[in-house]
Amino acid sequence: MIRVAAVGDVHMDSDVLGRFRPALAQLGDRADVLLLAGDLTRHGTESEARCVADEFGGLAVPVVAVLGNHDHHCDQVPQLVGILSDAGVTVLDGDGVVVDCPGGRLGVAGVKGFGGGFAGRCASRFGEPEMKAFVATTADAADRLRAALIGLDCDVRVALTHYSPVPETLTGEPPEIYPFLGSYLLAEAIDAAPTDLAVHGHAHFGTERGTTPGGVRVRNVAHPVIKQAYSVYSLAGSVA
Amino acid sequence: MTRTSGQSTRQTGPDRLDGYTEAAVQRLLSEHADIAEQGVGVSRRDHSLVLCGEVESAHRRAEIVRLVAERFPGVRLIVDIVVSRTTAPTETEELS
Repeated sequence: MIRVAAVGDVHMDSDVLGRFRPALAQLGDRADVLLLAGDLTRHGTESEARCVADEFGGLAVPVVAVLGNHDHHCDQVPQLVGILSDAGVTVLDGDGVVVDCPGGRLGVAGVKGFGGGFAGRCASRFGEPEMKAFVATTADAADRLRAALIGLDCDVRVALTHYSPVPETLTGEPPEIYPFLGSYLLAEAIDAAPTDLAVHGHAHFGTERGTTPGGVRVRNVAHPVIKQAYSVYSLAGSVA
Repeated sequence: MTRTSGQSTRQTGPDRLDGYTEAAVQRLLSEHADIAEQGVGVSRRDHSLVLCGEVESAHRRAEIVRLVAERFPGVRLIVDIVVSRTTAPTETEELS
């Protein structure tokens, strides 16, 4: 078995420093890896990234992250990635990593993702350049996620995004904003590989559990949704 | 046909609670540099504005309440914002 801990939307800044540490101190006994599902900071500043590094660096298990929309706000993504990488956090953006765990090789493919909506109510690449760019951004993210998932050589395969691949885990959010919370294109990418679990954040008022049309379990691990420092999922894997 | 410039007769301001105020508060919570909260719900209930959701610290909750009260002094607030718990999980979900 491989045990995957995950949380998203921790929105670190100096006022939050230390809040997660008591629970994180127990992580080595509970999980083999920790996934951070984006929105690690409030505004995406270097000082906030250093808070993330202090809080989630030096843990007993590897930490793998994607960034979220908040982490892009101040246009300092390269600096954020540098600070997190220096702290030992693997930041994925359309690529993947394989972690050797006692229960097997865990492959994680990650991308932030973007919006667009879900089947029957989704945006189309049509009309104004801004609209085409909006949809193209999501399509590009989904393409990179698909390639990263397929390219993993592992026993258990996990997709890590910030935006949601399915509408089920958005239940509780106003339906009017679903197109800003995720896209079915991410689910289509996840279903293109033998994925065992998809983890996302972003939707604070959403619901923890859902599935893709292909049957992959989806978990919304936004901190306000799981209401604990992290959730842990145990996976046997379905692929060799 | 005569084209006229629109002359709004709507009375607006920081003491009025309507859809525009609701929208303004929601955008304020997202866009104000000291707040940056997109996870706080804003809705009207009777003659009050309800703020609900979870934030990461008591300081952030206090700042939200202070800022909204300062910008919209005549609006009656109902605040149901709590600080997210950070306890360790007690269970593991088996997904096999």
